[in-house]
Amino acid sequence: MNINTSGPKILWEFELFGLTVTITETIISGGIVFLLLAVASYFLGKDLKKRPGGRQVLVEKVVSMLYNMVGDTMGKHNLKFAPYIGTLFCSSLIGSLIGMTGFLRSTTADLSTTLTWALVTSALVWYHNIKNNGFLGWLKGFTEPIVVMTPMNIVSEVAQPIALAFRHFGNVAGGGVLMSMVYSALAGASALLLKWIPNALLNSIPFLQLGIPAVLSLYFDLFSGFIQALVFCMLTMVYVGEACPPPAEQENKDVSKK
Amino acid sequence: MVFLTAAETKAFISIDVWTCLFMLGNLLVLYWLMKKFLFKPVRAMIEERQKEIDDLYADANQSKEAAAELKEQYETRLAEANEEKEEILRNAYRKAQLREEEILREAQDKAAQTMRRADEQIELEKKRAMNEIKDDVSGMAIEIASAVLARDIKQKEHRNLIDSFIENLGESHD
Repeated sequence: MNINTSGPKILWEFELFGLTVTITETIISGGIVFLLLAVASYFLGKDLKKRPGGRQVLVEKVVSMLYNMVGDTMGKHNLKFAPYIGTLFCSSLIGSLIGMTGFLRSTTADLSTTLTWALVTSALVWYHNIKNNGFLGWLKGFTEPIVVMTPMNIVSEVAQPIALAFRHFGNVAGGGVLMSMVYSALAGASALLLKWIPNALLNSIPFLQLGIPAVLSLYFDLFSGFIQALVFCMLTMVYVGEACPPPAEQENKDVSKK
Repeated sequence: MVFLTAAETKAFISIDVWTCLFMLGNLLVLYWLMKKFLFKPVRAMIEERQKEIDDLYADANQSKEAAAELKEQYETRLAEANEEKEEILRNAYRKAQLREEEILREAQDKAAQTMRRADEQIELEKKRAMNEIKDDVSGMAIEIASAVLARDIKQKEHRNLIDSFIENLGESHD
């Protein structure tokens, strides 16, 4: 039985200006995802016409959907976040799906990736909280609604990015582990069923691995990758949206909280 | 550049600072690229088209309103023209009637005048004829009387006598 529960492989390690630089599988996959998305967005965004062709209609539909979703979740005043949410969604989705190629590791199956993204979300939340309420106002926010809650509030603030990171990482990496377990189990079952054949080559064919994993992969890789990208973006929108209330509400926010 | 290790794996749950930095850089640059090449132009195109459609609809509405206004104007004018036409017709009819009456009256006047003149003429002719007859008769009477009486009668005296006689005769005959 060979169940792959290891982290990303370290491909190269080298010294650069006295620092040890590590190149892992995730970095390679990340670079490929980056190139894919950059090239795709360049080709999808060029030659836009007033009378759109098929490609442009689709692109416009998707971009409109993104802006509608951001507008509905964060409010119309926060539409400026839509490009970031779109980038995050595409990075997450393609980062998860690239694991289906078989020879590249999903970027989101590395905690480093999801934690980085979660910390960017937290940074946005903190930045906008401080911008809207002032540094002291932000600190004061931890003592609400009562002072006793302060430790809880701090814990939940710290837990937020960690939970965000682990949810995404756990789903994708867990899906991968599960898939390799399924493969091993199916190989074992095949061997057991073919034991009566005297030929050593023939009874080692893991025929059960054909077809069955595809159905599971549809859920664990495709569906889960899509759902996790959506969940990550949704939570980012909710957290950042909370830190950026509509301009009119900002003044009576203190009143409504009491 | 020195390769220290190869084909080694990180722990399943591990955080690698280089990966973090690399992914952060990826995300930020990708954000900038996608915003510049995809989201902004697509969004601008959608908005531009929306604006054009809105403008077109506004134009169409304006044209429609203008057309309705023109139609109303024409209808009012047409009604006015109709009324004017009827007024003219009524006037012409009235004038014609007046003229007709005038012509009739004139004709009647003329006819009456002619009749009167004719009557006068007849009367005159009658008188002249009477006078002529009277003269003839008195002449004849004198001739007859002179022939009968064969004596010299003062012609003038007799004539007066006879004239008065005939006058009396004529009056009793009228």
